[in-house]
This record gives sequence, C-alpha cells and structure tokens, in this order.
Amino acid sequence: MLSELAESKATGALKAGRSGTVYLSKGRVCYVECARTPTVEELLTVSGRITSHGVKTARQTTAATADGGDMLVRRGVLSRGELQLCVLGATLDASFFLFGANVPKPRFREGDRHWLGIQWFFDVPGLFRECHRRRARLDRAWPSAELDSRPVVPVRRIRAHHVMLTALQWEILLNADADTTPIELAKRIGRPAYTTLLAVREMAAAGLLETPAAAPEPPPPEKRLELPKRVAGSAPRPEPPNGNGRRAQSSFPEISGDPSDVNLLIRLRNALEAFQ
Amino acid sequence: MIGIEDCLSEAMAIPGALGAILVDHTSGTALATEGLPDPERSAIGLSETFRATLDGLALSSPDGTIRIDDLIITTDHGYQLIKPMETMWDGPILICVRLDRDRANLALARRRLDSISHELIAS
Repeated sequence: MLSELAESKATGALKAGRSGTVYLSKGRVCYVECARTPTVEELLTVSGRITSHGVKTARQTTAATADGGDMLVRRGVLSRGELQLCVLGATLDASFFLFGANVPKPRFREGDRHWLGIQWFFDVPGLFRECHRRRARLDRAWPSAELDSRPVVPVRRIRAHHVMLTALQWEILLNADADTTPIELAKRIGRPAYTTLLAVREMAAAGLLETPAAAPEPPPPEKRLELPKRVAGSAPRPEPPNGNGRRAQSSFPEISGDPSDVNLLIRLRNALEAFQ
Repeated sequence: MIGIEDCLSEAMAIPGALGAILVDHTSGTALATEGLPDPERSAIGLSETFRATLDGLALSSPDGTIRIDDLIITTDHGYQLIKPMETMWDGPILICVRLDRDRANLALARRRLDSISHELIAS
C-alpha cells in the first residue's frame, strides 16, 4: 500500500491504528512514527532541549501551518542540521519497527501533515532497503530475536577478564532493572530503539547478558552483611607501577569476574535512586 | 547555521575533496553522500574504522575515557578525514571526507571540517 501511494505521488498520512503513521509528501516519505520507538518530540524532551510543555505548545500553535520545525529552529531549540538529523534518525528507527510488525489495516488520510513540517525526504524503496540492511546487521551481531522482547538482565559473573563497552551499552547496563525490555529501555533513556537493540545483541554476543538458553541461575549465595573481600585484579586497580614495562591500561573500569563489582554497582544505583 | 545538504556541499568545496559522506556511527547508516560510488559500503567501512580506532585507543590510552576529535588517515592515494559530531539523542554522526593527496592542504581541510561540523550541530 505504501508503494502504491508512493507511485501515485500521494500527500497525506498513512495511519496503522495506534501502531504508527507514515507521512508522505508527493509520494516521498517525510516522517514515520511508531508507537514503540521514541519520536522526535521524545528525543528532544529526554535530551533536555525542550520541555514536554514546550513541545505541546509548539505543536498546538503550528498544527494548522505544519511549520513547527522551522519555529523550533528560529527559537534556537536546535539547529537546522540537528533537526534534520533527529527527524532522519527517528524516521529510520520507526520504519524498522513499523514495517516489520503486524499492524492493523492502515488508512490513508489525504492531506494530513505532521506539525514539524518537512525536514527530510526518503524514497520508499530506499527506506525498505535500509530496513533490510539493519535487520541483517542485527542478525550478524547475534542471530536470535529471543532477547528483543525479554527484559535485559546483565549476568552476575562474566567469563572474560576484561570487557569494553560503548557509551550506549554503559547506559543500558546502568538502566537495566531485570524488568525492562530493550525497546522500553530505549524510550526511557531517550535513545533510538534500533541502536539500543543492536547494543543489547552485541552485549549478548559478548556474554554480558543472561540469555534464555543459558543454564538457570544458581541459587543466590547467602547474604553477606559486610562488603565481600576484593580479590586481586578486581577494580579499582592499584596505582600502576612506574618505569618501563608498564601494562597497557583501558580507560574503562576493569571488570573482573568478581560479583562484588556488580553488587556494588547495584547498591550504588539504588542509593542514587533513593536520593532523587 | 546549515542543513545536511549544505554541510556536504561545503565539505566538497574543501580544496582537494573527492568525496564526502555523513554516517550514523551506531547503526552504520549512510545518511547523505556526495562523490562516493557505493555509499552503503563506505558507511559500513568508515564506521568500522572509527569503532576499531576507539577500541584500540581505549586499550592503549593510559588515562581518561577516549574522545576522538578527528581521525586523519594517510593512504597511498590521499587522505581520509573522519570527524565525529556528538548529538544529544544518539551516538556520534561521522562526517568523512576523502582528499586528493596532491591538491589537498591537510591543515586547511581539518579546520574547514571543524567549522562545518559546528555549523551543522550548533553546540
């Protein structure tokens, strides 16, 4: 149906119930929204560029003219380039999850426009191609979808002596509460759902997350009242020795197999949350 | 303040520029391109280059976390400049320019790329 609309150079909004909406202008896609992925509005509010009240007001005042994006740029909320990149990223993210999902029969509303206006164009075959590429990339990272809809649970003990994390993976681990799925996490931390999912699969491949195939968790050790003793090599590391022959050091915290590191992180997080 | 298309044409206006591309680093997506025959492959290759450099430097750096300002790669044919631009909502966007070795002025190209990135993402 989207391809037909593209061929007939349609302008309007193709709405698939509550699942999402594809906005078209003269047969080209200019924005896609998906209920599961963060919208431009959400990305901007979570990143602190504008309050949700500010977004609401902007949407209301520009709903008729559909030039909300221009207004945000004029007001200095973000630059033209940032707006385009944000729309581009959000659209690719939403397309990936909307096009791959079972959605209710879509209805086309001729002439409907998004309040942000047109910031970027995508041709429909190109959009499909990119979704396909992203799917293949996910499967290369970790060829199973079983983690996509399960809560993210970091393993309590890792097999490796040393791990390297990206900034996004760090955020995911800090926000993982054994209850939230990757896509819910993405919304919470204001990151695109696709990149969050990719980061989760990469961490699974690196053996940092509990996977369904893994053996059931051993019963938790009896609760210790004091901090467990550190073992040699666990973080934080001692001062590096001076002189030649110094070992290469990572800029990231050294992660040992010692579960006290994870326990400490969890306690730290709980304490920080209690502060709020 | 410029948009994506102006950003690319300004990058192509750098003396000696042969091709320019904007890449979303975390997903490896080619966002916009000029003068490159296969943008999708270029995007994947360049974002992997950047990732490998980050990983390698993280291992070899004695202090602090790694932030790359820009990457200059000299090849037998020319130069490749890769500059990350931070966004508030996602991993970095890379702006990459391929330069002719005989015609390019590396110092000038680096400065121009820096100002272009600041015009695109005002931060």
